[in-house]
Amino acid sequence: MLIEDVIGFLKNVPPFQFLDEATLKTVSGKVSMEFYPQNTLILKQDGLPSEYLRIIKKGGVKVSMVSEDGEEVVIDYRGEGDTFGFLSLVGKDRVRANVTAIDDTICYLVDKDTALKLLDSNPVFTEYFLKSHLTKYIDRTYKEMHNKSLFYGGSDRLLFTTQVGEIATRKVVTVREEAAIQEAAQIMAKNKISSLVIVDDKELPVGILTDRDLREKVVAKGRNVSEPVRGIMSLPLIRVDYRDYCFEAVLKMIRHNVHHILVIKDGTLEGVLTNHDLMLLQGASPLSFAKDIENQQTIEGLIPVSEKITRIIGLLLNEGARASNITKIITELNDRLVRKVLEIAEKKYGQPPVPYCWIVFGSEGRKEQTFKTDQDNAIIYADTTPEEEERVKKYFSAFTLFVRDSLIKCGFPLCPADFMASNPRWCQPLKAWKRYFSNWISTPTADAVLNSITFFDFRPMYGEVSLSDSLRDSLISMLKDQKVFLGYMANMAIKNRPPIGFLKTFVVEKSGEHKDELNLKVKGIAPIVDIVRLFALEKGIKETSTLERINALRGKHTIVQEYAEELEQAFEFIMLLRIQLQYEQIKSGRTPDNFINPNKLSSLEKKSLKEAFNLISKIQDMIIELYKSMIW
Amino acid sequence: MLSLIKKKRVYADKQRLITGENYVVVDTELTGLDEKRDSIISIGAIKMHGGRIDMGNTFYRLVKPKTTIRRESIIVHEITPSEVMGEQEIGKVLSDFLRFCGDDIIIGHFTSIDLSFINREKKRVYGPPIQNPVLDTFVIYEWLRARGQIACPQHYKLYEIAKCLGIPVNGAHNAIMDAFTTAQVFQRFIPMLIAAGIEKTEDLLRVGNPLRGGESLRVTSEISNF
Repeated sequence: MLIEDVIGFLKNVPPFQFLDEATLKTVSGKVSMEFYPQNTLILKQDGLPSEYLRIIKKGGVKVSMVSEDGEEVVIDYRGEGDTFGFLSLVGKDRVRANVTAIDDTICYLVDKDTALKLLDSNPVFTEYFLKSHLTKYIDRTYKEMHNKSLFYGGSDRLLFTTQVGEIATRKVVTVREEAAIQEAAQIMAKNKISSLVIVDDKELPVGILTDRDLREKVVAKGRNVSEPVRGIMSLPLIRVDYRDYCFEAVLKMIRHNVHHILVIKDGTLEGVLTNHDLMLLQGASPLSFAKDIENQQTIEGLIPVSEKITRIIGLLLNEGARASNITKIITELNDRLVRKVLEIAEKKYGQPPVPYCWIVFGSEGRKEQTFKTDQDNAIIYADTTPEEEERVKKYFSAFTLFVRDSLIKCGFPLCPADFMASNPRWCQPLKAWKRYFSNWISTPTADAVLNSITFFDFRPMYGEVSLSDSLRDSLISMLKDQKVFLGYMANMAIKNRPPIGFLKTFVVEKSGEHKDELNLKVKGIAPIVDIVRLFALEKGIKETSTLERINALRGKHTIVQEYAEELEQAFEFIMLLRIQLQYEQIKSGRTPDNFINPNKLSSLEKKSLKEAFNLISKIQDMIIELYKSMIW
Repeated sequence: MLSLIKKKRVYADKQRLITGENYVVVDTELTGLDEKRDSIISIGAIKMHGGRIDMGNTFYRLVKPKTTIRRESIIVHEITPSEVMGEQEIGKVLSDFLRFCGDDIIIGHFTSIDLSFINREKKRVYGPPIQNPVLDTFVIYEWLRARGQIACPQHYKLYEIAKCLGIPVNGAHNAIMDAFTTAQVFQRFIPMLIAAGIEKTEDLLRVGNPLRGGESLRVTSEISNF
């Protein structure tokens, strides 16, 4: 009867189409149906958690967020067969976005209990939602949301010293003026952008289409979305030169009441500048923080600035930033801090007698630091004559001690394994480094393997980069056909099996301080890092960060080719969990560690973690198969 | 005195919001419209909570007719005499139906007609007529139209009203599909009613009272879909 209609509809809608007949029938029997006239606000941002998973039967909705200064940012449009309300339902927290009917809309509603039961018993169901909702959300909130906390506390000074070209979005997405409104909106949604440049048949810009146009001229007016976009674009086009200072752009935005300005360079379209770009510039953004570092001339001046890093990261977390973006920013800020320390050291001790390169490795080398991590650094200096050697060693001895102690003051603790440039063993000429590496590879003792996994993730941070590049090139050629050494690396990569037992429950620490807790670093992050490092060394990839390595390995490595996206997602997810954990610990005055209690995770997080562990396990099995003869 | 209080169903909470109210949308198929000669062939009903239609919470039964099915009604319902042979007697169907309705507000299109047939049968079996509060979608339609909330011409037939509101209408006139169509019509009315200031149950019961549309009692077979 009526249920047959519901079943027939859900059969063609992912993820319901993956359910078996009996489950689908049970679910359909519990479905109810609601109607929302055009412009109905169905879910309200910050409102109570959603009680239903809604599936659009007819019509469409707009998902948007309103920032504290009142600007609405459209995150997504959803149409027939799409769902919404999922995250809030699963997370049991407040609704994150406004959902508004952009047309007369009919939805089927699946109640919370039924939806949660489906999630618990159907992996495909869960996977679908994770992929389609979670990543989309995290991505877009980071890119498009701006928060008052970022807006205040900064200075307006940057508006007068920064050129438009420095902060404008370079990637300009265009659409022809005769394209349909819907097509334009789809392009915007696909590219996650809030504006689209409209061009004529000579590809010359004739107008701009913004979220606001879609809202005011299409949704509010009930305009047919198949009409050409020409009819709703904003005119006139406001332009600035890429060399103009940002305050000039602000003045133009205010004068013309627009939020998007075209940036012109040498007569051609260079990019688009949005008010969001300007706000980020103004606030206590990572950018202004970086400038703050640059302005310091003494170690004492750097200390208070470095303390702010934690606060900045807190802001980013509150904004829902992705793990990879957070670690990128932490890396960028820490790099600047260390470079500044080195600059100050050079001033104090005079120019070094030979060119040198300050390298970092470990998590710093992979650009994957969370909060303050141990110092992991070394110096490669240019090969010298034996006569010079003594003088060079003396210089660097004092220099590295000063840097080490200064970094401690700035919150970077000592490396317990003494992997620091202040240790004479790790302050060596290029030829010595090459000898180290080749010895480790040819004689892979336990120590050599440990050194390799730490040092092979090195990257240059300051000084003569060519020294570091030369070492990297040598390493790549040394590793060619070194099956035995790679076999040792493979053993490292499979050493930590993911903690998923037969019953798919988490294996946690059985005793001690961290009883019933899970070590995210050892069980989750390290295996992925080790796996990806192995693949990168196999294929002679120069990149050092895990995500960059994955990207460089696409098309070069068959396993990565197949699992690149899943690996990236798994890695980002565990990293994000770890960063959140550590931030909470720091906020409550504890020392950050890597131990998480699985019972305290939301069901969604648990599921994602299990998925990540399953993936690691699967790839480890493949490595065992590939290196069969060398696995012990 | 006591018996009066006991019998009179006191509707609990007229201050309740119409969006939080429980409804049961009902449609009956009849052998014809003559109260003396004709009888109920089938009863269909579906539950609503506020504007939410419970797709799985439905009632549909065919009734063994007491009178012969008239030729012209067969054409409308596509229910042939052989199909209703072996179905349950009206008494059993009716008691199940009343249990399904519970205390919910009954909604129908020209509800007076459905209710007069139901009450006639009830009178034979149990006695008192149905006590539930009743709403008529036709009456609400006219009320909303008069206040400019609906830009549709005067229609009587459920299917014409549905079509004008953009509700898809298909399939034969069977009691459950018609109840579902009526439910969707009422669903569309809710935001319009709120826009017209009708937010509480007591207000809705006033504007949707079947007795307001006096002509519904005089309706002819030409207008009704039976």
